[in-house]
Amino acid sequence: MLSLRFAIPFTPTKTKPKPGLVVQSGWNQTDLLSSLPRRCESYKLQAATADLTDGRGASVVELPEGLSRELMPKHVAVIMDGNGRWARQKGLPASAGHEAGVKSLREMVELCGEWGIQVLTVFAFSTENWIRPKVEVDFLLSLFERALKTEMDSFRKSGIRISVIGDSSKLPASLLGLINEVEETTKNNTRLQLIVAVSYSGKYDVVQACRSIAERAKEGQIQLEDINESLIEQELETNCTDYPYPDLLIRTSGELRVSNFLLWQLAYTELFFAQELWPDFGKEEFVEALSSYQQRQRRYGGRHS
Amino acid sequence: MDFARPKRMLYFWIDKIGNVLFRLSWHLVHAIIYLCYFTMAMLHGLESHLISRGLLRKYKYLHISKINYLAIVIESEEACRTSNVIQLLLWVATLGINHICLYDNEGILKKSKDVILDKFDGAILFQDTHENNMLLDQPCMTLEFVSFSDGKEAVARAANVLLMKYIKSRAAGSNQGEQIFSESEMSEALKTVGSGGPEPDLLLIYGPARCHLGFPAWRIRYTEIQHMGPLKSLKYGSLIKALYRYTTNLQIWYGNKQVKCSAVLPWKTVNLGKSNRTPSIHGDS
Repeated sequence: MLSLRFAIPFTPTKTKPKPGLVVQSGWNQTDLLSSLPRRCESYKLQAATADLTDGRGASVVELPEGLSRELMPKHVAVIMDGNGRWARQKGLPASAGHEAGVKSLREMVELCGEWGIQVLTVFAFSTENWIRPKVEVDFLLSLFERALKTEMDSFRKSGIRISVIGDSSKLPASLLGLINEVEETTKNNTRLQLIVAVSYSGKYDVVQACRSIAERAKEGQIQLEDINESLIEQELETNCTDYPYPDLLIRTSGELRVSNFLLWQLAYTELFFAQELWPDFGKEEFVEALSSYQQRQRRYGGRHS
Repeated sequence: MDFARPKRMLYFWIDKIGNVLFRLSWHLVHAIIYLCYFTMAMLHGLESHLISRGLLRKYKYLHISKINYLAIVIESEEACRTSNVIQLLLWVATLGINHICLYDNEGILKKSKDVILDKFDGAILFQDTHENNMLLDQPCMTLEFVSFSDGKEAVARAANVLLMKYIKSRAAGSNQGEQIFSESEMSEALKTVGSGGPEPDLLLIYGPARCHLGFPAWRIRYTEIQHMGPLKSLKYGSLIKALYRYTTNLQIWYGNKQVKCSAVLPWKTVNLGKSNRTPSIHGDS
């Protein structure tokens, strides 16, 4: 039986709304055969108030219709694909596509912070991307450096913690220094953790985890027989967060692959492949991805642990 | 004159009528949404039927040789539906795809492998082939049965292999850490522990959730992933559509720049228009 949740905000006149919970319905599940809503003396539509706050002290804004705050994924991962194609379609240079991509990312970071998502991991640059033309690679790295410098203050003020994962050995020294500074400056922020994967690949992550384990074994911290999946997970680069496994992966531009991103971590991640190119992926498209995730959660309950 | 009582009665009836109207509109909206989903399901079913009968022109020709290795993930709760699994494999084999990997998280398919292999004359286990690069030369069907133990657990075992190698190299006085802990060495170590299958070109997920449920992560770097829905709703037309989608989206990588190409290349094609009958299990009428 089709079961949908179609929430209409209301509140009985004699009760106060729950803080932080804006959209609610009078029953948990709606379908054609569900019982009629309990009768209240009167109903009133209520708009969210901006001065409600969540547990982390940030303002809570109204969620788009159909989304539930309780069912928000804790960790969303994004493969930001399609900048180059977007630029080609518009007759612009590739650099314009990447600039537009940064704007999309900025919007997504704001939305994640507002909607209670705790971790956002984005695939900015993969190890395979190093073989692109040097001009493009240099532009991408300088764009990343500029974005970090420009947004550092904004991250600090809006409670966003920045972490960068990937093989840093090939990154320019100036960028490395800036990354360390931003990570240090924002390490105590708790509203949202933005993890940027630069020069990253899923296979590299697993291999470096094994290398770290070997070092620990060399120092006598662990024995050979201790090596299991848990130990590898502890050494993966995503150990910088309390929620290392994405609940939802979004890939834009219509490609149906994970392209060497978070290979180990995606075992039980809901995969959402969007047709739009990354610069065109905005609030509406994000809501669609989240709705799809929440619908599936509602229908099929918990996942494997 | 006392207007209090009529006023209370008026409010009472306004409230009652308001409640009824609210409930009616609520159910009307849900009925509309239900109808939309129902219509979409009907259209999907109709399209699947038309594809199965070979009536939709664009699905008549599939460039099957693009798919060297196909992986099928089945949710463990549905993996016990052996007849559905065999039906699916029969369709895939009839279309000319001979090298298939079957995965379910709990290893239920592994327990059914003898029953499944019996249904396909000459099919052999992937593990019985000597080298991956001989796979394509095998004229017969090869089936690989994989579970969670071949994924993360296998990587842990492979990590052990690499660590032993590292310890030995240090004992011999050489420091080959960088060479030993590399992607190629990890691939070799996975083969050593018996979990070194090839990377599938396409992975079809049969289950309610759109996730691969722990399929060996090392093998799906560039695998295309398509969600097919529950196994109990298995449809030949949906399978054709998924294969068509994969085979027509040719991506050519030039220096890591992606270019879409729709040129007709000399691949082996399957003409679905010759037979209007959906293949069924041997022995069925």
